[in-house]
Amino acid sequence: MRPLCCAVAALAVAACTVPLRPAPGVQAAPPEPNSPPASVEALAAAVQTAAARSDHESRAEVRGDLAAEASRDAEACLAREPQAAACLYSRAVALGLEARVHPTRAADLLKTMLDSLARAAAADAYYDEAGPARVQALVLIRAPGWPLGPGDTEAGLAAAQRAVALRPDYPPNLLALAEACAKTGDENAARDNYTRARDAALRMPAGADREEWLNQADQGLHRSP
Amino acid sequence: MFCAPGYPGGAGDAQPLLDQFASVALAGSGWPAGSLAAVYDPTEQGGLAKLSSADAVLAFVPYPFYVEHASELHLAPLVQADMTDIGVQQRWTLVAKAGRVTSPASMAGYTVLSTAGYAPDFVRRSALERWALPADVKVESTGQILSALRRAASGEAVAVLLDQTQAAALPTLPFASDLQVLTQSPPLPVALIAVVDSRVTAARARNLQQGLIKMAQTAGSTEALTALHLRGFVMPQLPPQKPAQ
Repeated sequence: MRPLCCAVAALAVAACTVPLRPAPGVQAAPPEPNSPPASVEALAAAVQTAAARSDHESRAEVRGDLAAEASRDAEACLAREPQAAACLYSRAVALGLEARVHPTRAADLLKTMLDSLARAAAADAYYDEAGPARVQALVLIRAPGWPLGPGDTEAGLAAAQRAVALRPDYPPNLLALAEACAKTGDENAARDNYTRARDAALRMPAGADREEWLNQADQGLHRSP
Repeated sequence: MFCAPGYPGGAGDAQPLLDQFASVALAGSGWPAGSLAAVYDPTEQGGLAKLSSADAVLAFVPYPFYVEHASELHLAPLVQADMTDIGVQQRWTLVAKAGRVTSPASMAGYTVLSTAGYAPDFVRRSALERWALPADVKVESTGQILSALRRAASGEAVAVLLDQTQAAALPTLPFASDLQVLTQSPPLPVALIAVVDSRVTAARARNLQQGLIKMAQTAGSTEALTALHLRGFVMPQLPPQKPAQ
C-alpha cells in the first residue's frame, strides 16, 4: 500500500535528512545585516550555519525560515559558481533542510539532493572531508526505500565505503559506514567501525564535535548485539 | 494508536500530522474536547505494547496487522481507509526469479520477504490464499524491498510479496525482466480503524464512525486527510477470516 505510513510515515520522511556540520575550516562569519555574503566560501558557510542551527531547533517555523535562508544562499552561491563543489554541496544541504520542513515533498527533494551530491562529488570528492559521499550514504541508508523514496541500503553502504576510502580518519565517515553496515545486517562490521570511529574521534582535538562523535559511537556500540 | 510495521518513518516526524488528524476526527465525532489523542509507532512490537494499554481505544493499522492481531487484541472494525492513489482495496503480488518457480510446490525451501512479513497469517491465508505455500517456506519481514528484489533477481531462493504501490513500480527497475509475477491476491483492504477491546461505548463508536465517513466532505478536513495520504473513510467491508491451518 501507499501505506499507512505513507499514510502515516511518508509522513516521516524527514527522518532521512541528515545532520550536517559546517565544513572544517569554513568559518560562519555573520553577514552584514540585509547584505548578502559576498563570496562562495561565505555563502557556503552561511548554509552550513543554517544547517547546524536547524539541527538544534525544535520550532517548525524557525526551521522553515532556516531552510528558506539556506536555499537562498545556496542559489546565490550557484549563481556565482555553478560547478563549484561548495555550491553544489550547499544546495544539497539546503534541500535536506527543505525536506525536513516539507515531509510530504521529501522524496522528490531527497532525489534532487542526491543529484546535487553526485555533482559535488564529481567536482571535488574531498570537499568537507569527503562530505558528498558521506551525506549520500546517510541519505541512502536513512531515506524511505524504493518505491516511496530514494533509500537504498546497498548503495548507501557503497557511498560510505567511498567516503572512508577518501578520508579514513574522519570520524563521521566511519560513523556513516558503521550505520550502513548495521542497516545491511553486518553487525560485526558495524561494531568494528563504531570502534574505529571512537578511536578516530579520540585522536581529534577536544571540543563539541568530538564529544558528539564519541557519543554517536558509544550509542552505536551500545545498540550492537 | 497508529501502527505501520515495515514502513519508514519515526514517531516524532509523524506526530504533528497525527495531532491534526485527531483534532479533525474529534471535531467531527462530537466527542468531548481533549478526549482523543493520536500516537504512532512504526514497529509491530511497539504497536502491540501500546495497544495493550487501557487508554488505547482505537487502532489505525494496515490490514495485515489487523489479520495478524485482531483476535488477540479484540479489534472491531470501525471504518476502512480510502487511500490516495490506491483506494480502499489493493492486490498483493508475489514475484520471484523469472522461470524459476513453476508452481506453489516448487517453492519448497524458499523464503518469502515482504513488508507484511511480520504477519505470516496474512501472507499465507489472505494474500496467498490461492497459492498454497509449502510448509517449509519461511515468511520474513523486511523494510528493504529493493534489496529483497535484487536477491530474488540474482537467483536466491527468495520470493517477494509486494503491495500495490511496489508492484506498480516494478517495471521501473533495471532488472525487472529478471523477475516474474507468480500470483496476485484478491483485492484486500488497505488499512482500517478498529475499536480496541470494546474500550469505546457503542454510541461513541457510532458517532466517530459517522464523523470519519463524513470527514472527506467536511470543510477543513482535507489538509488533515491529504497529509496522511487519505481520501477519506468508508464502512468496513472485510473478507471473511479463514481459520488458521
